[in-house]
Amino acid sequence: MTIEMHSQRDEVVVPGLDIEALLAADQARARRSAILRFGAPVVGVLGFFALWELGVAVFDVPRYQLPSPSEVVRHIASDPEFYVRNARVTMWEAGIGFLIALAAGLAAGTIMAHSLFIERAALPLAVLIQVTPIIAYAPAIVIWFGLGTKSILVITALVCFVPFLINSVAGLRSVDPNLLELARSIDAGRFVVFWRLRLPSSLPFLFSAARIAVGLALIGAVLGEFFGSSEGLGYAIKTAQARPIQLSLQLWGSIFVLGLIGAVATLLISAAERSLLHWHSSQRTPT
Amino acid sequence: MSDVVSATVPADDAPSGANDPDTAHVSVRGVHKVFRRRRQTVEALRAVDLELDRGEFVSLLGPSGCGKSTLLRVIGGLIAPDVGTVDIGGQTPSVARQGKQFGLVPQTPALVPWATVERNVRFLSSLDGRRDGMHAPLPDPAVDELIDTVGLGKFRSAYPHELSGGMQQRVSLVRGFALGAPILLMDEPFAALDEITRAEMRYLLLELWQRTGTTVVFVTHSITEAVILSDRVVVMAARPGRIAAIEPISLGRPRDRAMEDAPVFHDHVRHLRERLQDQHS
Repeated sequence: MTIEMHSQRDEVVVPGLDIEALLAADQARARRSAILRFGAPVVGVLGFFALWELGVAVFDVPRYQLPSPSEVVRHIASDPEFYVRNARVTMWEAGIGFLIALAAGLAAGTIMAHSLFIERAALPLAVLIQVTPIIAYAPAIVIWFGLGTKSILVITALVCFVPFLINSVAGLRSVDPNLLELARSIDAGRFVVFWRLRLPSSLPFLFSAARIAVGLALIGAVLGEFFGSSEGLGYAIKTAQARPIQLSLQLWGSIFVLGLIGAVATLLISAAERSLLHWHSSQRTPT
Repeated sequence: MSDVVSATVPADDAPSGANDPDTAHVSVRGVHKVFRRRRQTVEALRAVDLELDRGEFVSLLGPSGCGKSTLLRVIGGLIAPDVGTVDIGGQTPSVARQGKQFGLVPQTPALVPWATVERNVRFLSSLDGRRDGMHAPLPDPAVDELIDTVGLGKFRSAYPHELSGGMQQRVSLVRGFALGAPILLMDEPFAALDEITRAEMRYLLLELWQRTGTTVVFVTHSITEAVILSDRVVVMAARPGRIAAIEPISLGRPRDRAMEDAPVFHDHVRHLRERLQDQHS
């Protein structure tokens, strides 16, 4: 839609044409689509938990196999301090690992976007890092960096690195070639072109990477805690796994909190994307 | 054919630039350019000579693939010729480019999607700090005036995606002029516009050109556009890309819509069309 269409409307005097009614219908349609946008996801999530609750009650599932969601929530509420403490550890590890991966991926992507040779040479390694299951070489990382935060950060950063790398190469290369030629026509320097054209053009790609990396960062942090930590939600899950009958609620409480952290992080990234990328076609709803 | 037109057509069939080389703003001498791709070669430009006076409006007219865009880029120092020289007021094109002597208006608007109209028109001039001896961009009030002239005064804070194609191209036009560069290189800037918008844009362009006194190289494949805009029309032919004829346009200045109905206008159009058809047969 162009702005020219937004100008105030003229008085329409065609017999049988009720502009007010058409506008009212438009408004009703807009309301319906708003309900659809916000209502449908809520219905989906609540419906899922309701079915779960119902299923556990109807089939009388033992708690150590699958507790009902209300039980899990009550359990979390009974010991919030435990979950806040462990969630804080895991969030910290996932967040720092995520940021390290972003910085390293963007730096390596910048070098690769400027040199085809380096890109061709480095890409197979990047693919190799991505397709080799992190769980296979996580023990090696623990051997190198020792038990504790350092290993966990390395594991988390490694799993998030490749999406940031691949997307920053694609993003930095996505600048409109006509804009690049315009910059060349005034002899703009490489650094200026990077800072003012390439980097902003790569933002939509970096946000796509960030949405993928949120989940990966949590996987990395939890996995790292499995192997080399004595705190965090991953460690809580590991101890619960060792005593499944006694600690089934701790297992599910940790799962719930991890899910909540991932969902909130994704929402925050989407919100940042909406406000930073309002100019990008991905942020416009089709009319 | 009218007397006016026949009097202005050079007798030589392969004319060299008609203007005096000593006073020329842009002079292209003996330029050849061959594009190579997978062991195949395309002769994009052969033996091109052209002189442009300061403040002159010259169109490069011809079919697709005749090398008009290549010639534009050779003048602007964006493509280096294989043989021959280009002189921009005593400088090589790349030195002139470093001195911010060129404003480029590409075929697509190529606006920065994350910047408003107001920031887009100043985007190129804001890209690079100017050192001494460089051409200065237009002062802010002058750029504001250009925005008003092209009718975008109310859309200063709009983003490109909120504008129609014609409005985007007007932003691109103002951006070209806002650089304050003495030479404007325009590569079919109106090709993607509808006929009505396109006709409006021609007169907007003429108004901006007249106000700034810029030397303009304008690439087009529209004969009428070339005639109504230009002081001279350079007819180019394809395979190999070369200059087939140079026709001075004898319409007065300033140009207006009424001139499009004048017999002289139609004589020029007819004559240029014949010239283009000669190259095809």
